[in-house]
Amino acid sequence: MARSRTVRAPTTASLPNSLRIPSTTPSLSKTLGKLSRSTLLDLALSWLEDRNVESFPPYLQPSDTSNNDNEETLPYPAAETLAEVREAYIDLRNRKGGKQEIIERILEGDWRHGITLRQLAMADLRYMDDRPASLRWTAMELVRVNDVANSKSKNISDTIASASEDWSSHIPRIQAASFVKSLHAEIAPLVKAHYHLSRSSTLPLTFLRIFIIDSPYQNPRQQPEIFTDATRIIYIAFPDSCPYFYTSSITTSNASSSTSLGAGSLATDPRTLQRLVREAIPKALSRPHQRFTLKPTALAAKNLQTLLTLRGPGRSTSSNGAFSIFADAALEGSPLDPRPSNTVLAEEHMRGREENDTHSHDDASKSARPATNKRPSGSGTVTTTERALSPDSKKRRLAVESRFGTVGCSITPAPLDRLDIRLLDSLGANDDDDPDPDRNAANLAPAVSVTFTGSDVIGGIRKLAELGVVDPEHMPSWMTGEEAVSTAFVREGKRLHVER
Amino acid sequence: MNQKAHNPGSPGPEEKDLDAEIHTIRAEISTLAHRKRILTTSLLTTPTIKSLLRNANTNTNAKTPTTLKEDLSPLATAAGAHSSTNHHRIAFGATAFPFKDPAPNSPAPNLLGVRIDICARGRFVKPYYVLLRQEGKGKQKEMKMCVHRHTIPAFIAVDRLAGVFLASSSRRRVEDEEGEEGEGGVLKSSRGARRQDLRGFVRELRRELVAWHLRCEAVGFLREKLGLDRDVDAGNEEGEEKQWGEGGASRNDLGIVRLEATAVEARYVRMEWEDGRLGRFKLSNAGLVERAVFMNDRGRDKVVEDAVTGGGGRIESLFERLKELEALEARS
Repeated sequence: MARSRTVRAPTTASLPNSLRIPSTTPSLSKTLGKLSRSTLLDLALSWLEDRNVESFPPYLQPSDTSNNDNEETLPYPAAETLAEVREAYIDLRNRKGGKQEIIERILEGDWRHGITLRQLAMADLRYMDDRPASLRWTAMELVRVNDVANSKSKNISDTIASASEDWSSHIPRIQAASFVKSLHAEIAPLVKAHYHLSRSSTLPLTFLRIFIIDSPYQNPRQQPEIFTDATRIIYIAFPDSCPYFYTSSITTSNASSSTSLGAGSLATDPRTLQRLVREAIPKALSRPHQRFTLKPTALAAKNLQTLLTLRGPGRSTSSNGAFSIFADAALEGSPLDPRPSNTVLAEEHMRGREENDTHSHDDASKSARPATNKRPSGSGTVTTTERALSPDSKKRRLAVESRFGTVGCSITPAPLDRLDIRLLDSLGANDDDDPDPDRNAANLAPAVSVTFTGSDVIGGIRKLAELGVVDPEHMPSWMTGEEAVSTAFVREGKRLHVER
Repeated sequence: MNQKAHNPGSPGPEEKDLDAEIHTIRAEISTLAHRKRILTTSLLTTPTIKSLLRNANTNTNAKTPTTLKEDLSPLATAAGAHSSTNHHRIAFGATAFPFKDPAPNSPAPNLLGVRIDICARGRFVKPYYVLLRQEGKGKQKEMKMCVHRHTIPAFIAVDRLAGVFLASSSRRRVEDEEGEEGEGGVLKSSRGARRQDLRGFVRELRRELVAWHLRCEAVGFLREKLGLDRDVDAGNEEGEEKQWGEGGASRNDLGIVRLEATAVEARYVRMEWEDGRLGRFKLSNAGLVERAVFMNDRGRDKVVEDAVTGGGGRIESLFERLKELEALEARS
């Protein structure tokens, strides 16, 4: 590596894209090994694209080959032109084989002089596209500082004075490059970082991958292993047009403190570094007269789609559970539809407004599943044929339909993998032990925590309700996913909004 | 169809043909069935049928076969009610309906739903809903509505709107501001206590939603003019470049290779020319180009900026203005 030759002086610049990690680093092959074969090939080919290749060119045969004796002994002779390298990977794509040979080719052949930080970042993001559930994400909300102040002081006239005509300009506009710049300005004195921005190929998200290290030097002298340390990487995902963003949370808490190499002081702990970065985000987004602050939203999930559905730009952000019928517009069709809306299947409403819908199953399933048509009583639209006599199962189904809405059969499924509920109902007395400031701490409150885990918690509760295990009429609304949170404090079936 | 379904043992290609045929016929059947349903339900609401039914009800009460009446009247009432709802939805755009929160421990289970219908490009988009709940118990005069759930996209500040229009009237009486509600001038800043203005809330919300749809439409219109949407269908960007030559003259003239809204709310639009010039402009709710920044390789391109924002600034005539500018430049 060319590290020894560079001048080492503390700077506030970010880690350069071109910083090379020696390819002999064992953890590098592990990182690449997480990717599937086709992804690896795609990745290698994207490294070789014209716009990328100049930042990390592959190892090519030097034109004036004085002595290449040792070169020939290597398993992967260096190619002479870029086209040759590309050819090799395209060949690999066309034939079958294991992925190990590709990793070897990358590390020992074409990039034997090292993998750059940018390449590593690209590999990590590819992995995320492949496995959207590989990380656990926490949703955070960006709130205008003025708004918070106003709502607290209840000073309405202020709000009105500040209210502009434009009601849709309250979300921070993120211009990715300048955001990274100002984020860098925020955290540069504290940590050294490498930034990589990328647009998700599958979801309406922009990813920012930040690798942090506690060294003031441009070419840190840490072990190369540190560059693949997952605890030093923060992912931030920005969904389009909404005041939320998602950050990856640390999963291995104990391991991180032990593996942090420059250990000792608190400031070098990856957790602290991550916290620093997270706190810098609202500052980086703020502008004069438009300051933002972070607000936790009590939602963490593994699936990014879940976050997009529950804290995203779309319709379903603030209508879930029983109200998902509104989000999916399963209640009624377009006003041009002459059919009374309770005779049309909810699925058909949801399917949208394509003209050439196939309604083959329509009439058949209408008689088979009349429950689907029923919406919660009192929905106000035409509810005519009240099927009064119904057996228990049918009644239960109706109740389940009304409580869960379209959860579970929605177009945009939002599976929660974990739901933590803290029940604060106390025995007799109305006291509790939650961190709610306006309540006095008490002693007679049993701390009951309920944790559901699984691939789709709310869907599971729905199934239980359909089977009659859970009483669909009397269960509290947090069980239907209406609150759209993954952690909640509940008293008397209602979620408490814990102020921080 | 039956005849063809009888010989399943036929060889491959023929079988495939038959399968395809069966599939198309099935699709046709289902569209016809769908059409039949539409027609039967709309038949029930035709004035002729309605008046016939009414006559049957009033005049010849005894004579009409009761079975027919009993069969028909619930259907007819349902269809009638539905069509009148539809008429309201089409005519007013915002309609209210009651909704009962099924949650057992909800403090205010009776919700007021507001449905906002928006017609964009000749079709109605999914209706937007706002569900309001009543807060403040006891005194009916101090009844306070607040937003419970809604399906408004996140970039519209429903909370802030609600904070302005549905803010509680607190303790003070509101007689002194009685006049304000009538004119709907809620935006004017006044003293703290104010009446809740549900109409104003819905009006502003609907206006914002409509403006969003119009902005999206405007961007779509410009893209269509450039033929960009077709290029997307055609596939890769290299193909795009080639298509400029064979396309219409208008596209060649301007050489714009990209035009898109920067985010979902379509407030800012980004343009890119073949020769690397860049531009970004802001669309107002009224469809005007409010502000614009255009860059060429020498820096800010003030001439283009003036052309984009000037001349009335309508977004629809953007390309005409750009073309005029180019013609001017060519002459000089």
